[in-house]
Amino acid sequence: MKLSRVILILCCLALLGGCASSSPRMADVRAFAAQSPHLGAYHELTERYRTTYQREQPFLSPAADLRERQLDQQRQASSADFAKLQTGVQAYMQALGRLAGDKQYDLEDQVKSMSAGIKAWPDSGIDERHVNAYAGLARLVARALTRPAQDSAVQELLRDGHQAMAELLGAMRTLLRLYDKSSDNEQKIVLGMLETEIPFVDTRRDRLLLALSRSLQHDKQAEYHLTGVRNTQAQQNLAAIEQAHRALFNQIPQQ
Amino acid sequence: MADQHDIEALADSLSASADALHAHLMRALRKPAPDGAPAMSQGTAQALFENEVLLRQRANSLYLDSARLAAAGLGGAQQQLLELARRAEDAIARIDRVKDMIDLTAELLSLGAAVATGKPDHLAAPLEKLKHHLAALPAPG
Repeated sequence: MKLSRVILILCCLALLGGCASSSPRMADVRAFAAQSPHLGAYHELTERYRTTYQREQPFLSPAADLRERQLDQQRQASSADFAKLQTGVQAYMQALGRLAGDKQYDLEDQVKSMSAGIKAWPDSGIDERHVNAYAGLARLVARALTRPAQDSAVQELLRDGHQAMAELLGAMRTLLRLYDKSSDNEQKIVLGMLETEIPFVDTRRDRLLLALSRSLQHDKQAEYHLTGVRNTQAQQNLAAIEQAHRALFNQIPQQ
Repeated sequence: MADQHDIEALADSLSASADALHAHLMRALRKPAPDGAPAMSQGTAQALFENEVLLRQRANSLYLDSARLAAAGLGGAQQQLLELARRAEDAIARIDRVKDMIDLTAELLSLGAAVATGKPDHLAAPLEKLKHHLAALPAPG
């Protein structure tokens, strides 16, 4: 009877050990949080989306300009909301990072200052061996005290934030795709105007106009190409953040 | 109410029509008349391009509608994340107090070492440090 109880307790301990080892490693959580600066590209592209009208305006006919100005008002009003999506995601990721932070809970500094404090007394009869033993002990105590609190706080944050994060990241992904499509149309309005007007330029009389138009055409092509690349990168980074977040969530023991 | 994907798909097809119109326009412009000028008059080219711009503006207006639908109703999720971030800060504060405890232990140990030397003048510095540290600790809440 006694023996079976002991075995039962050992099994429980083994299970608990299994749970503990399946919780996300702090290094993984920090690696996830370190991706938060990538969200800056979303902010930048939202800002570019907001200022579409400024770039299109010189290339629009009066009728098209009138229509675009109405669209611009709506775009201005919505872009503020679009930009806000990022704020919550970023705050959440940074909080996770600080909570799982190396520096914050690495007590190496304390341990070192403790050792240094002891070494400062050469006549105390305490030698290097004792100092090291103290330091080792302090390290163990520090780990035992902070680890469980840190682990459970990180897990709680991951569990509670999962749904909201999934929704916001999904919305940001959709918006990036729509910015890209909208930018495509902007590009074709700007470059299309140049492309359809350049054939009518008198190549002898208006040489200056032709040179300037072609130069502008070249610059604009490069600008839109870069914007497209930037958007693709932003979408890839966002997908990586979504994936890392899912992976972390799947690592925590489900209640 | 139409869903975000339907609106986006509609905008996609408008953009595609504009692309087709543009390809047509450019083909005509590149086919010069015998005198070297484009086969199409400038007025016609401008009128056609104006239609292309109109199509693209309609498409972009729909993309905006679609974006607004995608971002709508997320205020709750937004608030929840900000609230969680604040709670995490609280947790960090709690864990920091454990760290304070380690600091205190270290100071006590060096005080102990000072006592062990049997030299009272060595006591003053660690004692002062400890006093300051205790005074700086937040009141237990």
